[in-house]
Amino acid sequence: MAFLRRKKPSFEGGGLVLFEDVQDAMTAEKVLKEAGYAVKLVAPPPELRRGCDLALEMNLVEQPGIERALKEKDAAYVSVAPLRVGTSELLEIVKATDFGEQMMVRAGNMKLSFDKASGVIVNVSGGGCPDIPFLHSELIDRRLSDVARPRDIGFTLCALMLDRALEECLALWQGGEQR
Amino acid sequence: MMLIAGTVPIRGLPLTMGRPALEGDDLVVEGRRIPCAQGTGAMISAALAVADYLKLEAPQVLVAGDTGQGKGSREIYEYLIEKVGDISPQVVALHYCLPIMALMNRLCESVQRCPRKVLMIADAGSMYAAKAAGLASRFDVFTPDAAEMAFLADPDATHPAYIARHLFDADIGQTPDLVAAAYRHKNAARLLLVKGAVDYVVDGGGIVATVDEPDVPALEAVGGTGDTITGLVAAFLYAGLEPQEAAIIAARSNRMAGKFAGATPATRVRQIVEQLQAVFKEHLCQWSGVCCATGGQQ
Repeated sequence: MAFLRRKKPSFEGGGLVLFEDVQDAMTAEKVLKEAGYAVKLVAPPPELRRGCDLALEMNLVEQPGIERALKEKDAAYVSVAPLRVGTSELLEIVKATDFGEQMMVRAGNMKLSFDKASGVIVNVSGGGCPDIPFLHSELIDRRLSDVARPRDIGFTLCALMLDRALEECLALWQGGEQR
Repeated sequence: MMLIAGTVPIRGLPLTMGRPALEGDDLVVEGRRIPCAQGTGAMISAALAVADYLKLEAPQVLVAGDTGQGKGSREIYEYLIEKVGDISPQVVALHYCLPIMALMNRLCESVQRCPRKVLMIADAGSMYAAKAAGLASRFDVFTPDAAEMAFLADPDATHPAYIARHLFDADIGQTPDLVAAAYRHKNAARLLLVKGAVDYVVDGGGIVATVDEPDVPALEAVGGTGDTITGLVAAFLYAGLEPQEAAIIAARSNRMAGKFAGATPATRVRQIVEQLQAVFKEHLCQWSGVCCATGGQQ
């Protein structure tokens, strides 16, 4: 069957990268567009202004990948914030469920389970972004302390939540459950 | 036709459409192997199990490789935006995709122009995009878990990572409150199947059923068991069941497959999928009235 060529991506929105000055915003726009991200220079709403009157609108779901791309190119920015006023802070809390031989930790929409004796990751569940099935295959059957961090190899907020779950699993395993 | 669309974690896999077949532990679509693992692969596998059992036409699947940067997701959105009217499916189940609100908006517009009603189901990133873009009410079925239900209930969140803490803290017993909030803010599909220790089936804002047996707590930890539920709902809808009934039987089937598999947190989702045929054979007739002498004919 014939497939379509990719069209110029539509703008996606939902988040803002905030800057101290205009030059930083323009540098970041160039860096991110070269990395394949859809971004747009906009004026931030007054309540989100941190310095200059330019911000980059971006797909909030891509926050980890975008921040990593900026850091890799030493492109200065202040922070990333949800565009919608009233949006809550990024979730910091986690919850653990003890299944006996295994422990499951939930952070946001992500859950990571490990074997309490060996520290081996036995499952990853939840999430909805396309890096999660990839991270699932990368993490499963490997020891908590040996895996690449989802925040370093993933690109989305789901990956960031999975990283938080992994961090808590490491703390639980190394802090008391390791045998 | 039942159409299942979503990304798969295979770098470089081009946009591919075709009928899947199960070969060993993998699905094969147009000669390309896709693991029956968490994500779209699990969803397809469950839908295929229903189609096999009921002797239905296998689902058409539209997949593309994407490991998080969104290229495959965009290819899927763009292809469907352009072609969904020509494909004219009866059921569309959208799954793991980078949530891109603008593209979801265009896709919903294309679906509205289809010559006949399309039953629209969304889970995972596609559900996030639909809610964040204010398009939830265009969908017939969402299948959130507890955290995702809190996301639907939060009018400002564009991703479950940004939900209000008090909503995240809500336990499954508070699902009715979250459901009410989601409908109040028009952030719910017509029917919700909320997956959790108790599964809630909600139609138009009213809870019409709960499913809590068999109780297999470990299923929450098994990656892909939410995906299989969505695949089951899609296939039962395609088989002609009413949405409420499709949701109830999907929830029961998934739980029973977990029980048959003796699920632990270390179980793989393909072990759950492998039990579905036995579950249907033993229970589907009683649950749904879809009865057959040899496990096939309706």
